[in-house]
Amino acid sequence: MTEFDEYWRAVDDELAALPARPVADHVPARSTDRFTAYDVRLTSIGPYRIFGYLSVPAGDGPFPAVLETPRYGSVNLAPHYRDRLRYITFTVMHRGQRLADVPFQAAYPGLATLGIEDPATYVYRAIVADCLRGAEFLLGHDLVDPARVGVTGDDLALITASRRPGFRAARSNGPLEALTEVTGSPRAIEFLDVARHPCSARTFRVGTDYELTHEDSADDEVLDTWLARELGVSPIRKFDLMPS
Amino acid sequence: MRDPENAVITVPLPEDFDSFWAETLKSVPELDTSLTYVERLSTDEVAVYDVRYTSYENVRVAAWYATPRTGGPFPGLVNIPGYISEPLPPVQWARRGYAALAVAPRGKLRSNSHFNPGYPGLLTHNIVDHHTYGYRGFYVDVVRALDVLAERTEVDSSRVGLQGSSQGGGLGIVTAALRPDAVSCFAAGAPYLCGIWDSAKLTHSYPYEEINEYVRVHPGHSELIRQSVAYYDGMNFAPKVKAPAFVYIGLEDDVCPPETGFAVYKALNGPKEMHTYPRSAHQAGLHWVMPKVADFLDKHLVHGGSR
Repeated sequence: MTEFDEYWRAVDDELAALPARPVADHVPARSTDRFTAYDVRLTSIGPYRIFGYLSVPAGDGPFPAVLETPRYGSVNLAPHYRDRLRYITFTVMHRGQRLADVPFQAAYPGLATLGIEDPATYVYRAIVADCLRGAEFLLGHDLVDPARVGVTGDDLALITASRRPGFRAARSNGPLEALTEVTGSPRAIEFLDVARHPCSARTFRVGTDYELTHEDSADDEVLDTWLARELGVSPIRKFDLMPS
Repeated sequence: MRDPENAVITVPLPEDFDSFWAETLKSVPELDTSLTYVERLSTDEVAVYDVRYTSYENVRVAAWYATPRTGGPFPGLVNIPGYISEPLPPVQWARRGYAALAVAPRGKLRSNSHFNPGYPGLLTHNIVDHHTYGYRGFYVDVVRALDVLAERTEVDSSRVGLQGSSQGGGLGIVTAALRPDAVSCFAAGAPYLCGIWDSAKLTHSYPYEEINEYVRVHPGHSELIRQSVAYYDGMNFAPKVKAPAFVYIGLEDDVCPPETGFAVYKALNGPKEMHTYPRSAHQAGLHWVMPKVADFLDKHLVHGGSR
């Protein structure tokens, strides 16, 4: 086994050895007659308690589902209303981000290089683990249609789909934004190279399959339509979605 | 079909709007600024400092301050952050010749030890009561950034501008209105916090969706919220603005509806220019507009000299 494979196998082993023990608390404010929202707390490697936003459409299911991997920044928004109408959604807050920041609070700038001196201590090893834990949670949800599960985010989404078969579609808006803070080529980031994380899901990646026009409403429509078609639902433009 | 340019956005003007803000600003303690040089964020050309100052209700507020290493006096620039973003050291603006202060108002990571409503949370923190609404101190934190720059001998206080998008755009309007004599010009992208109550009726996107969620749980609070946010609405600040304004919006912005961008632009009282971007959402033409923003600021703050 290569060092690369060993590295990620060890993460899988650590996750497998720790029960996730998810707790889902109903959130009335984010629930409507169309979907029900929960705040979820679950255990990832460390052990560390991470957070996720879960939303489940009304009805009997099974439903198509989407995992959102976290952005680079202290805050991830709750999944958009349009997505909660169509999918079971789960949005992971990795360790250090808001709602998963006890006891560890990530600094911005700074998180991108935390522990980067050694691949074994690099914070992104744990961040990927947190995404994988989120994937396991969503893929294991009773109401998820296993043939229609997608993952979206930056390249963390592709890495997640590579390491957790079960996703039909993986959509990336491009390289990890954290890498813009990294100077030189420390060994630790080699383990995040998407080229070394092939996945069996169908993929759509900005910069590879699509060049942004920078008209972000138009770009969003293209990205939304791709995932909606893959998962068998209708596209929805955010701008068209107004409270009735 | 929406017609953003001609939409009517109405915000009630509280009778005591002016006295509310005058008293709020009068109540702040001494700045008690501290400035710590940060080697790891500085470059050969730019010195970066970690700044802390005291604001409304004695909350200590953080900012990054960046200046060119040589020359001066420099024009000053306040960078105002978006809703979920953390301010970065404004090194690029310093490279351009500005003494730039990127403020982290209360609740941001470096300013949240005494006030931390979280995200989501800030927009609706005590939203039924304008006296204790979370944005009260937050607004003051941004206004006081001007006082921090005014203390700096390397800053030409007759040439100070504001720059930001979204929350940074909305608060640019607020700050220019509350300190008409201290602001030479400002650039405001996709302004948030303008037509606040109407915005929540026009979108399901965050942050305004926080209001829809709040009302879902407290349906009887709508009128209280409408009255309360009027004290904080850019529409009520815009007529008091005198400084030249550069405004830009996306015509399909789901986050800050373009209806409100047009409305607040019309309400601005100083010299102004508007740039609109079709097929664009909350980035509001970012890819094309930032060079124009920089040229606008340079024209008024670098080439234009003092007011």
